[in-house]
Amino acid sequence: MKVNEVPQDDVPDYSEGIKKGNYALDDNGKYVMVPSKGWVVDEMINRMAYDEYKAKEEETRKAVLAGQKSPLAYYMELRQMTPEILGKTAGIAAFRVKRHLRPAIFARLKSSVLEAYAKALAITTEDLMTVPKNPRER
Amino acid sequence: MTTEETLANGSTYIHRTSAHCETGVTSALFRDKGLDISEPMIFGIGSGIFFGHLPFIKQTGLPISTFRSIPGLVFKKAAKRLGVKVFRKRFRNQQKGMDELRRVIGTGQIVAVTTNVYWLSFFPRRYRFNFSGHNFIVLYENENGFRISDPALLEYTTDCSTEDMERARFARGPMEPRGLMYYPISINPHPDIRKACIIGMQDTCKQMLGIPIPLFGIKGMRYVAKKIVKWPEKLGYVEACRQLAHILRLQEEMGTGGAGFRYIFAAFLQEAGELFGSTELNDLSNEMTAIGDIWREFAVVSSRIIKQRKTKSEETFEKASGLMMICAGREEELFKNLRDVAGKLKS
Repeated sequence: MKVNEVPQDDVPDYSEGIKKGNYALDDNGKYVMVPSKGWVVDEMINRMAYDEYKAKEEETRKAVLAGQKSPLAYYMELRQMTPEILGKTAGIAAFRVKRHLRPAIFARLKSSVLEAYAKALAITTEDLMTVPKNPRER
Repeated sequence: MTTEETLANGSTYIHRTSAHCETGVTSALFRDKGLDISEPMIFGIGSGIFFGHLPFIKQTGLPISTFRSIPGLVFKKAAKRLGVKVFRKRFRNQQKGMDELRRVIGTGQIVAVTTNVYWLSFFPRRYRFNFSGHNFIVLYENENGFRISDPALLEYTTDCSTEDMERARFARGPMEPRGLMYYPISINPHPDIRKACIIGMQDTCKQMLGIPIPLFGIKGMRYVAKKIVKWPEKLGYVEACRQLAHILRLQEEMGTGGAGFRYIFAAFLQEAGELFGSTELNDLSNEMTAIGDIWREFAVVSSRIIKQRKTKSEETFEKASGLMMICAGREEELFKNLRDVAGKLKS
C-alpha cells in the first residue's frame, strides 16, 4: 500500500475524530506511518457488530415492557454482558442470575442483591427497576 | 491536544501515534527508558506476526481468526530479546491494584495497563465493545483521575476517570485483565539489536511454518480458506457474511496497521534490511508488501460480498477463498526464504 492509497474516507458517526495508524510506502519506497481518517470497509463491519448488539438490546427492552423479562435482562444486554459475566461482576452465581431474569423472581429480590447488581452494571437501584420507554437513539 | 507531558518526577514524555496498542505501548515504554526503538522493530523482534484460527474461543458467538500472537507475548518476547528487565503483575485485590498503580506513577515511572474497552468513556461510542485486551499508558494522576497516553487510538494525550480506570482494569469475563500492569525496570541502553532481530525472525518462521496443528500458521490460512467456500451452503448466506465480517474485523478494523499486521511486518523487514545492509531482507519486505496488498484485496472483495448479502452478489465466496489461498502460498514461500536468510545473517 502506498501513502496515497491509505483510505481517507469520511465516515460520520464512526471514528469521531480519532485516526487509525496505517503503515504505507512513501515516494522513495520507505515505510512511514500514515494516520487514516477512516475506511468505509471498517465502518461497515463495525456497524454490523454494533447493530447486532443494539438489536438484541432493543428486543430485550420490548420483552421487558411486555412483562416477559425482568429489567435486569435489559441492563445486562446494554452492558454487553452474559449471565456468566454479570454473575462474576456482581458476585452472584450465574444460575441465580438466570433466574433473576424472570420478572416474578426479580420482583421478590432483596435490596442487597439489587444493590450488587446496580453496582456491577454502573446504574442506580432506581434505574434497575424500569427500562426506558423509548428505544435508545444511538 | 497535548502530545508532550511532564511526569511526576519532572521528566518529559512524548506521545507518538502507533498502529497497534501493544507494540505502540511497548515502544513508548522502552523509549521512556532511553531506548529509541520503532513500533515495527518491536513487532518484528517480539515475533508478533501470526495466523491462527480458534473455533473453540468465541467472540460474540463467532470463531476468532487472529493475525497476531497471543496478547502480551510481543511485550514479553521483545523485552527478553532486548535484555529489558520488566515488572508485570496482576492483582486479586482491586484496591491493591489501584494503590500500586498510583504509587508507581507517583515516582515518575510510566505504566502500561490492560483494560476492557467497554468501560473507557474516552473511546468513540462505536468502538466500545466488551473486549478485555486494550493497552495504554498511564502518565500521572490529575484532578480528573489519570492522565493517559493511548498511542493506538489518539493523536494526543487524554484523561481517564478513576471509575473508568477501575472498571476497565478489573472487568470480568473472557480474557480478564485482573488489573494487569507492566513497565520496564531497567534497560540496557545499547542492546544487541541485530541478534534480537535474528531471534525474532527465526521464531516468527517457526510460528508460521512449524506448528503441527492445522489451525495455526500457514496451515491455518489454508484451513480457513477451504472453510470459507463451504460457508454459504452450510450456514446460509447471511450467517456466512457474518463470519466473513468477523475475519475482516480482526484483520482491518482492530488497529493492525493495515492488512492484518502484514504491512507493519514489511516495515520491520525493511528496517532490518537497512540495519544489516541486506538486499535480501529488503526484497522480502517488498514481497510482504505485495502479500499485504492481496490481503487488502481480500478485504475489499469480502466487503462487497457482505454489502450485497441481500441480493445476488457479483463477488463470490470462491473468489475470497482463492485470494486467501494465494496469501497462504506466497507467505509460505516468504517465511521459508526468511528462515534461510535469517540463518545466514551475522549478529
